[in-house]
This record gives sequence, C-alpha cells and structure tokens, in this order.
Amino acid sequence: MNCQRIQESFLDYQDGRLSPPDASAVREHLKVCLDCQREWAGLQEISLKLDRLPPVAPSPRLRTQFYAMLETHRRESDSHSPFVQMRSRFDRLFSALLPARPALQFALACLMLGAGLFFGTRFIHPAVNEETAREIEALKKQLASTNEQIASTNQLVTHSILQQQSTGERLKMVLASLDLKKGDQLVVSDLLSALAFDPSVNVRLSALEALYPHATMPAVRSAVAASLPRDPSPLVQVTMIDFLAASRDPAVSSTLEDVSRSQTYDKAVREAARRALAQL
Amino acid sequence: MIAVRAGEIGKLGELFERHHGPLYGFFVHHTGDRTASEDLVQLVFYRILKYRHTYRDEGRFFAWIYHLARKVAADHFRRSNAAPRGTDPDDLNAVPDEAPHAADRAVTADDTARLHAALAALEPNQREMLVLARFQHLKHEEIARLYDLSVGAVKVRVHRALKDLRDIYFKLSREQTA
Ligand SMILES: [Zn+2]
Repeated sequence: MNCQRIQESFLDYQDGRLSPPDASAVREHLKVCLDCQREWAGLQEISLKLDRLPPVAPSPRLRTQFYAMLETHRRESDSHSPFVQMRSRFDRLFSALLPARPALQFALACLMLGAGLFFGTRFIHPAVNEETAREIEALKKQLASTNEQIASTNQLVTHSILQQQSTGERLKMVLASLDLKKGDQLVVSDLLSALAFDPSVNVRLSALEALYPHATMPAVRSAVAASLPRDPSPLVQVTMIDFLAASRDPAVSSTLEDVSRSQTYDKAVREAARRALAQL
Repeated sequence: MIAVRAGEIGKLGELFERHHGPLYGFFVHHTGDRTASEDLVQLVFYRILKYRHTYRDEGRFFAWIYHLARKVAADHFRRSNAAPRGTDPDDLNAVPDEAPHAADRAVTADDTARLHAALAALEPNQREMLVLARFQHLKHEEIARLYDLSVGAVKVRVHRALKDLRDIYFKLSREQTA
C-alpha cells in the first residue's frame, strides 16, 4: 500500500475497524515510513486531546425550563385538542369492548362485518371512484393469493370502514385495527381502502400508520405507491413516501422518480421523493 | 418515541432525561457558547414536541434528534450571523480544575481553551461533523445517513477535519508559547 492509502485508513485503524490483514499492513508500513509515522502521531495526539476535554454539563436552568414548557403544552393540549381526548377515549372504549381471547375477537369481528355488509348493501351507496375501486379489487385478489380464506372476508371488512358515517367512526375502526393481533391480513385491504378513499386526512394518516407492520407485503407497497399520486394532501403524500422509503423496495423507485420530477406536486413532496430515492 | 407521537407528551420527559446531556455537549462544542447551548437544547425538544406527528421511522430516534439539532444549530449560526464567537476564555475556562490529581490531567485549562479556539476556527460544516463523530460518538454510517453521503465520503471529511484541527491547534500552541 502507498502512503496515501495508508493514511486514509488511519481513522479505521484507530477505531479498530480494519480487517486483521489491513491492520497489519498499516502496522508494518508505520515501522518503515517516517512521513506516515509523523502523520499518525499527530492524529493520535489531537484525538487524545479531544477525548480528554473535560465533560460539559448544563445548568439546572435547562431542566426547569424544559418541564415548564412541557407543562404549558400539556395544559394547552388538554383544553384545545378534542382529538387527543377522543383518541384515548376510543382506545379505552375498544379495550373494554374487545374480548381478550383472539378466538372471541375473531368471532366478534366476523359478526360486525356481517352486520356491516347487511346494512351496507341495503342502505348506503358509497361514492367512490370506480377506477380506484377496481384497483383495490385487483389488490384484494393479490392478497387472496396468499390466503384464500381471508380473501372472502376482505370484501366485508372493506364495507365496514368506508360506510361508517362520521370521521370519528371511521377513525375508530382504523385505530382498532392497530390492536388486532390475530387475523392481521384481514384488515390489510380494509386499511388500503381507507387510505385510497377516505376523505379525512386523519383517517388516511392513521390507516398508513396501521399499515407499517404490513409493509413487507409487496401488494401493500404497490397499493400505497398507487394511492400516492391521487392523494390531495401533501402531508399524506410525504408520509406515504416515507413509508415507501422505509420498505427499501427498488420496485417503487419509478413512482418516486415521477413524483420527484413532476411539477404537479408540492415542493415538499418532490423533495421527500428525492430524499427517498437517495435512500433506496 | 412512539408513545410521544401518539400524544402522551409526558413521555417526552424520559427522552429529555436520556438525551439532553449529549445534546448539550453537541451544541457547546459546535457553538462554543454555553448559555446559548441551553436554549438550543430547549429548542430541539420544543420541535420534537411540535413535530412529533411527522416522526415515522421507528428505531432511529437518535438520528432524528440529531437531524433536528443540526437544523437548530444552522438557524443559530444564521441568526448570530457569524461562525461561533471565536473564544470567550471566561466561558471556556469555566470548568474548574477540581480533580484531586489535577496535575495528572493531560488537558489543562489553557489546553482546553486552545482546543476550543481551534474548533471554533474550523469551517462550521466541518466542525459539526467532527463533533458528531468525536464527541457524540455517532458511527460513520449514522453520519452518512444524516448527511446523505457515502460512508467513505464521511471518513474522508472527518479525517480532513481532524487534520485541520490539529494544524490550527499546534499553530495556536506555538503562537502562545512564543
Ligand atoms: Zn508512508
């Protein structure tokens, strides 16, 4: 190795991160090369001085101010955010409502779906974009190929969220899905439908959050990628991009490339897509 | 962190206890200003509280907190419209030599002030990366993600920064002993 390459590996040598042969090459070179010896000694000396700088600690003022800020925020959010209160109330309600045993949970879920379908098909006609609906159907078939039996119930679940009348009701169902441990795939297409169709940003964001554990399924990733260009909210779009980037799936890069180039997207969205592409 | 995002802001207290010390170290070594550094730490936690809904990437809270810290530091430098105030010897010598065997300590108060002066003389981006690597003990891989650089590029820059720091430090030493 020449001097430049030896010196470039000094940091790793210092941290003990060189492979044994590389480390011994550096050691051997240092025995015979004065220039590198000087360089190495200088690096060691400054590193040692940095390591031995006395530690710094903040004054008690910092802690006092932090907790004062926290207290102010807590008071404000208690009085101004019905959403937070509503959410924790839903959590309590659902933990009280849902039976502890998975088998019972499943039975109850089926019962609710049945009821949802019964009332849904008779009284409510959801206004959803037909093309999107077809895509969701196609996705459900994809999901079905991994589990036939679950596919038949998927359709029922889809009706159950989309046909809830108020945002609160729909949000409640999405949040409830976060706690489901059995029958996870059961809720996946349900969540994808909420992500694609739901008019509420909160419901869509919650649905996306609930989909994180399922990001390993290629069908889920392509469904999120398909919803991305259609979503009207830059906030949801950026969150979708983060979701796709976290999956590290090269298959989504064409979608991200389109987003990063097209002027129809918000600047923040384009930037998020560029960052995500760099990550992939 | 997931709990904080979900709205349980009380949990932020735990995060504060765990991270405020290291964060303070980051700002002190980066800005050379102890008083301002306390405000900057506070600002980071304020932003965590405010933007907790945007935090998604579980398990990388550490990276996120330094991502916020870098932005806060950059804003600070923009505001004060100057790289760190050279050295304020009173400020930097504020650590008393109180250890029982003070004579054994390799770094004297003079040495400390000189080292801080050398740090302050580095170019801000260079100093920031060096502080992350050498004081915050972030891995080169973590820094690479933070800066969107390759690991190799980070190593080259940290090495370059160390060499520049060494040169400035020895230059200051010579001037002061001359
Ligand atoms: Zn050499």
